[in-house]
Amino acid sequence: MLEEFRLDGNVAIIASRGFSWIKELALSLNQAGARVTVATSDREKINEITAALPGQDVLCIPTDLNNSREIENMVTRTVSQFGKVDILVNGLNLELWKPLLDMTEKEWQGVLQANLTAAFLCSKAAGKYMVAQKAGSIINIVSGLAERGIPHGTAYCASMGAVLAFTRALALEWAPQNVRVNALGVGWAESQGVGDEKDLLARYIPARRRARAGDITPLVVFLASQASSFMNGSFYIADGGLMARA
Amino acid sequence: MNEFSLMGKIAVVTGGGSGLGREICLALAGAGADVVIAGRRPGPINEVAAEIVKSGQRAAAIPTDVTDSGQVNSLIEKALAEFGKIDILVNNAGIAKGVDPSGNDVLAPPARSLWELSDEDWSYSIATNLTGTFYCCRAVARHMLERKSGKVINLSSMGAIRVVKGMFGYCTAKAGVIAFTKTLAITWAGDNIQVNCIAPGFLPVVEMAPEMRARTERFFPMGRFGIPREIGPLAVYLASSASDYVTGQFFPLDGAAGATYAPTGYLPGT
Repeated sequence: MLEEFRLDGNVAIIASRGFSWIKELALSLNQAGARVTVATSDREKINEITAALPGQDVLCIPTDLNNSREIENMVTRTVSQFGKVDILVNGLNLELWKPLLDMTEKEWQGVLQANLTAAFLCSKAAGKYMVAQKAGSIINIVSGLAERGIPHGTAYCASMGAVLAFTRALALEWAPQNVRVNALGVGWAESQGVGDEKDLLARYIPARRRARAGDITPLVVFLASQASSFMNGSFYIADGGLMARA
Repeated sequence: MNEFSLMGKIAVVTGGGSGLGREICLALAGAGADVVIAGRRPGPINEVAAEIVKSGQRAAAIPTDVTDSGQVNSLIEKALAEFGKIDILVNNAGIAKGVDPSGNDVLAPPARSLWELSDEDWSYSIATNLTGTFYCCRAVARHMLERKSGKVINLSSMGAIRVVKGMFGYCTAKAGVIAFTKTLAITWAGDNIQVNCIAPGFLPVVEMAPEMRARTERFFPMGRFGIPREIGPLAVYLASSASDYVTGQFFPLDGAAGATYAPTGYLPGT
């Protein structure tokens, strides 16, 4: 049974901007057996991952995820290095907290570009190979704010909700080709320097603590693997009960 | 992959003798759990228990009708007496006309008009699909709370949110399972007990004529129905420590059917 959760022989791409747990996710996918490309413009993260995961299984490619040509080159390099691509994880999370009346059009478009358009570009570039091989799994990591609201979060919430709608539509479009597309919802993530006791958000969460990397990475592995072969076009949430509470 | 392992865990699965319940039992055992299989009919649950024992895990079959709280309490007592603890409870026992794999459908076909729905059919749907889940959770509550550890997996259905004409009792009860799941999840979130529900779409457990199957499957987004064993790994994930931060959630297992807004194959603009 546990073999179904393994990713041996698979190739995964993690496209990330602002996702906190790239290193942990790359490690989990790799430990499950996948070879992994990490695509991000965050040099610091790349250095961190290169130090933590040396070897031939993990490829870090500095990529501007606003640039379709760089994304295509990143996917092409992945395929030439590893032979194919089976899994795409979009960890796109540019946060902007600002009152609507103060928000510029450029800021609004920047959030939509970073969180939504990059998901479109990466899905298109990697999905081409998945559709051709009639197998693949795309996992869009979003906030629970895809289905909720918060003051000063208009652009961010709109981008998250849009990724969810994009997920459903693409899932139906590529279902005949056996390429699955799901969204994974993350609750409030742990941040440094704030203890759970004094943290207003941690106290609001029924589990009484914020999310950690290990709360999310197994769900990504599960959704990437054959263990979830009939799970498609849905939104799966790991948030300590946050979305269920009044 | 240790976080998905159920080694050393004890699971109780209701309706475990056949259909999706049987698949869940086999999957949990395959991931290392020992399993108590409950069901109305002794034959099927004994067979599943024998299969699990043959595979090297421990198993016990305990005939139980989940609509009877006395029998449910006795099931939990016996499971505790034999195995010493319960880590995982799967409330799978359920019934719908044409869905009950035992072939012993006791419900009338979906009502064409609401006045055709009898008191008995309505009550039986609610009793099995919803009240049985409550009885089982209540019966393990003290045990799980004392240990501050537990996993509860309830079987809802995509029919709870994308409903079927005339299936009043079933769809209403399965929607009730979602609200019950969330309430219990919030109530127990501080006690390290996670409560979630699985919402299967169409994963037929009875044989279908191949031509009928082929004719019907193309109306589903992935061009196929679900295969019953595809529920197994989802149950394993929700039963394992991999899902320790997941609670109060609804997990569709429907091959994208829940995302549809038009018939499969319809392409707007063409």
